[in-house]
Amino acid sequence: MEKTAEQIRGDLLRPLFRSGAGYWLAVGVTGSMVLAGVFAFSYQVYHGLGVWGLNWPVFWAFDITNFVFWIGISHAGTLISAILRLANAGWRRPVTRCAEAITVFALFIGAIIPICHLGRPWLFYWLVPYPSERHIWPNFRSPLLWDFFAILTYLTGSTIFLFLPIIPDAAAARDLASGWRQKLYGLLSLGWQGNPRQWHRLESAMHIMAIAIIPVAVSVHTIVSWDFAMTPVPMWHSTIFGPYFVCGAIFSGVAALILAMAFLRKFLHLEEYLEPIHFDHLGKLLLTMSLLWFYFTFAERLTTWYGNDVSEMNVFWSSIRQNFAPLFWTMITCNLIIPFPLLAIKRFRTITGTVIASSTIVAGMWIERFLIIVPPLEHKFLPYSWGSYRPTWVEITLMVAGFGMMGLLYLLFSKLVPMISMWELEAGVRK
Amino acid sequence: MSHKWAMVIDLDRCTGCEACVVACHAENNIGTAGPDQAARGRAKHWIRVERYWEGEFPNARLRFQPVLCQQCDDAPCEPVCPTFASYHTPEGLNAQVYNRCIGTRFCANACPYTVRFLNFFNPQWEKPLHLQLNPDVSVRSVGIMEKCTFCVQRIRAAEIQAESEKRDLKDGEFNPACVQSCAPKAMVFGDLNDPNSEVSRLARSNRSTKLLAELGTKPNVNYLQRDSWQDGKNG
Amino acid sequence: MQRRNFLKISALSGAVAALQSCGSPEQQLIRFIPDEDLVPGIATWKPSVCTLCSAGCGTLVRVMEGDAEVVRNGRAGLIKMGLAKKLEGNPEHPVNRGKLCARGHAALQVLYHPDRLANPLKRRGPRGSADFQVVSWEDALAELTSHLSELPSPGNVRPSDSRGGRRAVETGPVPIAFLTRPLRGQRRELIERFLKALGAPPSVSYEPLDEAVLRRANLLSFGSAALPTLDLARADYLISFGADLLGTWNSPVAQSIGYGEMRQGRPGRRGKFVQVESRMSQTGANADEWIPCHPGREGVLALGMAHVILREKLRPRELRSRAAALIAGWSESLPDYVPESVAKQTGVSAETITRLAHEIAAAASSAVVIAGAPLAQTNGMFNALAVNALQALLESGRAEAPILSFTPQPPIGATVPASAATQASFSALNSLAQAILNEQPHAPKVLFLYDANPVFGAPASLQFREALAKVPYIVSFGSFIDETSAFADLILPDHAPLESWVDDVAESGTTQSVVSLAPPAVHPLHNTRAMPDVLLEVAQRLGGPVAAALPWNSYDAMLRAAYVPLRRLSSSTATQSEGDFWTKITNQGGWWSTPTTPRAEAVSAAPAHTPAKLAEPEFDGPAPEFPFYFAPFPSQSFRDGSLAHLPWLQEMPDVITTAMWSSWMEINPKTAGQLHIAVGDLVEITSQHGSVRAPAILSPGIAPDVVAMPIGQGHEKFSRYASGRGANPLSILAPLTERETGALAWAATRVKLARVGGAEQGKLIVFAGGMSRFPAEEERR
Ligand SMILES: Nc1nc2c(c(=O)[nH]1)N[C@H]1C(S)=C(S)[C@@H](COP(=O)(O)OP(=O)(O)OC[C@H]3O[C@@H](n4cnc5c(=O)[nH]c(N)nc54)[C@H](O)[C@@H]3O)O[C@H]1N2
Ligand code: SF4
Ligand code: SF4
Ligand code: SF4
Ligand code: SF4
Ligand code: SF4
Repeated sequence: MEKTAEQIRGDLLRPLFRSGAGYWLAVGVTGSMVLAGVFAFSYQVYHGLGVWGLNWPVFWAFDITNFVFWIGISHAGTLISAILRLANAGWRRPVTRCAEAITVFALFIGAIIPICHLGRPWLFYWLVPYPSERHIWPNFRSPLLWDFFAILTYLTGSTIFLFLPIIPDAAAARDLASGWRQKLYGLLSLGWQGNPRQWHRLESAMHIMAIAIIPVAVSVHTIVSWDFAMTPVPMWHSTIFGPYFVCGAIFSGVAALILAMAFLRKFLHLEEYLEPIHFDHLGKLLLTMSLLWFYFTFAERLTTWYGNDVSEMNVFWSSIRQNFAPLFWTMITCNLIIPFPLLAIKRFRTITGTVIASSTIVAGMWIERFLIIVPPLEHKFLPYSWGSYRPTWVEITLMVAGFGMMGLLYLLFSKLVPMISMWELEAGVRK
Repeated sequence: MSHKWAMVIDLDRCTGCEACVVACHAENNIGTAGPDQAARGRAKHWIRVERYWEGEFPNARLRFQPVLCQQCDDAPCEPVCPTFASYHTPEGLNAQVYNRCIGTRFCANACPYTVRFLNFFNPQWEKPLHLQLNPDVSVRSVGIMEKCTFCVQRIRAAEIQAESEKRDLKDGEFNPACVQSCAPKAMVFGDLNDPNSEVSRLARSNRSTKLLAELGTKPNVNYLQRDSWQDGKNG
Repeated sequence: MQRRNFLKISALSGAVAALQSCGSPEQQLIRFIPDEDLVPGIATWKPSVCTLCSAGCGTLVRVMEGDAEVVRNGRAGLIKMGLAKKLEGNPEHPVNRGKLCARGHAALQVLYHPDRLANPLKRRGPRGSADFQVVSWEDALAELTSHLSELPSPGNVRPSDSRGGRRAVETGPVPIAFLTRPLRGQRRELIERFLKALGAPPSVSYEPLDEAVLRRANLLSFGSAALPTLDLARADYLISFGADLLGTWNSPVAQSIGYGEMRQGRPGRRGKFVQVESRMSQTGANADEWIPCHPGREGVLALGMAHVILREKLRPRELRSRAAALIAGWSESLPDYVPESVAKQTGVSAETITRLAHEIAAAASSAVVIAGAPLAQTNGMFNALAVNALQALLESGRAEAPILSFTPQPPIGATVPASAATQASFSALNSLAQAILNEQPHAPKVLFLYDANPVFGAPASLQFREALAKVPYIVSFGSFIDETSAFADLILPDHAPLESWVDDVAESGTTQSVVSLAPPAVHPLHNTRAMPDVLLEVAQRLGGPVAAALPWNSYDAMLRAAYVPLRRLSSSTATQSEGDFWTKITNQGGWWSTPTTPRAEAVSAAPAHTPAKLAEPEFDGPAPEFPFYFAPFPSQSFRDGSLAHLPWLQEMPDVITTAMWSSWMEINPKTAGQLHIAVGDLVEITSQHGSVRAPAILSPGIAPDVVAMPIGQGHEKFSRYASGRGANPLSILAPLTERETGALAWAATRVKLARVGGAEQGKLIVFAGGMSRFPAEEERR
């Protein structure tokens, strides 16, 4: 990568100011997905939660699957970026911003879902601790409250973490832009002059954030896992869920990052910045996570099987052999059987290879969340109360809207902020 | 004297008649789901009579087991509720405060007995069926979780009555609707704090068990297991 | 639009539609001044009587103030009135002692049913189309009176002739038919007097599952045509041959109370309960021993046990010798019924027969009872007499009072004796239908319908629907439009029972004589009138002997006249004034005698019946083509289908299958496997007389050669909740009858099965999503 700082700025700022028809088409498509979701949610609020496929006893399904999924995806960014920053891995430079953006957006989507999923969404603020006229605080013993704090902390932290390195780039854009953009970048750059004191502060702030965000990220998905592990539901009530969820989160997050990078590389013409080497490195990380994920999955199932608790075995067999078997084995295929050769064999660990692997992993990890949630609820302790679940168009639309929202936010973001941290890249060049 | 309300269900007496099921609907303003919603798993029965087959023809046996909220002392549905809608009353009941509930359904997942029901839609009473509604029990709107309350409205009414008359409640003075309706007297309700109450006496029976006792929820519903007839020992 | 919805929309759109906030106009109803003294929020409990089945349980109605839309003097409006909120059993009532069955609780929904008829209706469309128009009571009664007075027959005195005395008397009765559900008490008396005064034949009562066979058998064996009272609380051993005694048969609440005591009411002494049937019923599910027996062979099984008891002299010779004398070969200890040969006929092993005989003979107090499907065979009488004889044998040599007895009847005069009930309602209905179809001279010109629905409840082969079309004038008192009342020319809707004076005379379920009696618990909601009051008014309008035969100006006056004489029966009430006595019995929900100990009456008179020989059951349909016995059974929710309109009962899961809002058929899993039928698949059941379709439920509690289906669903027209739901098994029954009584042999049809669709078509609705077996304790560690 033998580019000058000017070239870098030119290449990376260009997409901010010029958009092709393809871009607007993409905005249109993702925007429609989001609008469809708004419609579906309005329909749900008007008629009641019954327009979903939930029933007695499956009270959570697509909703919480999507929630866990997006919170999981959010682990792509900030966590990876923070670790790589602390490890000072040079190859991270072009990757960090797309990664951190994923975190913020995925968390945002993830945080909306629990509100949408309420039976009475208009009362969502009762989850928020505020001194209300009812003189009742929310119940701090509820994992949902822990979720609230964890997600809020993570969202705040990762927004700051995303924002800090944008400051110098925003200043650069400010200097090029005119009109409303100049005002916006002026605002975002917080009066950045690039003097040594500012540089010093930025570096130390980022260092602090990088250290602080790691435990937050780990705690977030651990806490999400506790939504399940804290309840006596067969195959939810498991000590392995904390690390298992964190592992799954990073796994799906890295996959999502690879997909995002490939997408940016193609559409923003960043071939010279996001190079095969980056995909190769991330591919290795993905391979590690795939194996780790499989290890957890195996350990979880083995303990269940060996323990042979009747209630757990009902869930176990339903997912492995009975009605959920097709999904279960699809998940194994998506998360291990396809990715493993693609990522383990160097020849296949190309951009195409990692993209294929990441696609199946994202799908596989969505299924994994579904299989964690639904089969146990269908098979609780008293067989009389067993049930079955089938989603309705409303839930499917809301799921699609989640993906649309991710795409839309990403697209809009890429028009506002250079998707690669220019100054860090330049610093890399200088080195 | 404070009370500890509890129930005993004698499986050797229960005939599976389901009078308790309809009585509970009548007492507690439980909405009828209708065929379409019932087909989608939205029927609400705060008490249900579970049935389990054993053996094959001609040696088939059927076991009935009425299941309602077990009013657990360590109720898993309570800590998970973010709004204290599912909460423990000073008398040890698991109360469901409808107007606090925002419908997260966390409690329903956490309840091992699966006795919680969500109002997936606003319940409908086609006029004039609404005239039957019990004014002592609130009607739950869409998005709210509901379940057996041990007919808390009857408990409170009796307690207030006794208080105003400055006396203690008598054993059997009042009963929840299901218990009241049970012809073979399979269900007995009362105060465990009174060692001489019928429920206390029955709870000490050697046939007394708790449903899913291994989960440690400490239910306040005791099941007396089915007895058997032994030639010569009886009659 | 509801305010909540409105808020939702405005919140969503973010736009406040100011115009809409005016909302819908307030109700334009006028407000009537309340005519009751009610304290808001305070409940009063008023007595009433459950009329949903013939048990005659006493109820208490919880009445509280509320706002209701009502019709008063032809105007609709709102009023604060006492509203029935809940039903509970009347604790003082000797039959049900504070308890109700599931159906009894749902009787509230009869009162508040959205499809209850609120006004008199006159037919507008073609017969059977259920197209009616509202008419005034005045017009309706005038029309009815003119139809009645135009009947050219004896007993009918036209108002114009009344001064000049009776007209010439023609031969034959007046062509009026009155079709009711089985009624007791003064409602029945009123109808009979009305008919008699008009010169018409007595009423015909019809219910699909009538008890004529058992009544006749009891009359022969024990000298009483009533259903038996079972004092199970004292029983050590009970064998029931097909009787759904904890579910729908006879006096289920009373029997369930006794059953609970029999099981666990006496420390250290637990009775044993054995059920004999080919399809496990709710009752059978509770048995300590459940014994499947080939359909129609229950009598043989009973005599097999009797054989063992007689041969081994396990009991002394019978006290009620007449019951035994009715069985051929009894005095020779039933040589034809050795256990080995009985085993071959019944499918019950000889060892089991012998063991059960020993067990029950050794029990200190025991009973055997028969009801349901075993009586609904062509040899039903044989089965009944056999079981009765076994009962008589078990009673002999006992110091204790018998478990099975007959409720003493209060001394109230009746126009038609109770023993008339031994006439099979099916044959009565059949001759009525034949008379109409064949246009016989005495075929009714006016047909009254009261709570009977034979178009639904009789086999299609009886052609009652076709007969109805040929009756010139049909008047229904029904509160609902059903398959039969849809043919009416005039509907004069009755009050709901809770709005009426109700009375009943319990025939079983207690050892006391009982009259259930109560005034209206609530004021009427609609523009309806109580059937008895309408009949009294019609009688007044007709004048002459009819008016003279029914001299009361209201039904409660008639009730008072009938029941006040009971005052003299007890020394404690004999000194009361009539008024005090009346207040007392109407406040407590009826009158009952002081408890007595039942005695086994030794009926010694020679029976008017030749001793019964072994009678084989006959079945309709050749076995090779129709390989399955068809076992319709009364649904736990709807009994014979008359309660299918109540949403609580529709949504109550059947306790065995957990089905709601559905019909289903029960089939043995092995049979299902052979026919490739899975749970929920749509299956067609075909007899020689038609076919019905229902989703399959696989049940280990049914013999492989039997298919069972609940009666109750399959209504074409019966309120929004029941119409078009499920299938009616009665419609495909063969018109086979019990040989001696002519009762419908509803368990004597053979059928074939075919899978005609998957679960998508079957549309089975069940509450329990899960498996029907519980992991055994050992599997749960
Ligand atoms: N929560 C709350 N409670 C309050 C108040 C408040 O603001 N908030 N306000 C208080 C005040 S100021 C008042 S005055 C009281 C009012 O308290 P109430 O007097 O209990 O109130 P209402 O519901 O207006 O009317 C009483 C009943 O009279 C019936 N009624 C109407 N018209 C007639 C009639 O012509 N004849 C007869 N016999 N009955 C009729 C109505 O249907 C109703 O059932 O409430 C007091 N309680
Ligand atoms: S009412 Fe009593 S006997 Fe009937 S099902 Fe309920 S618990 Fe069992
Ligand atoms: S039975 Fe379920 S709902 Fe009732 S207290 Fe226990 S956990 Fe809560
Ligand atoms: S559904 Fe209601 S009661 Fe249950 S946990 Fe949520 S807020 Fe609490
Ligand atoms: S105690 Fe009350 S609320 Fe609970 S099941 Fe019985 S009737 Fe229903
Ligand atoms: S048994 Fe049930 S339906 Fe029959 S009268 Fe009694 S309560 Fe009513």
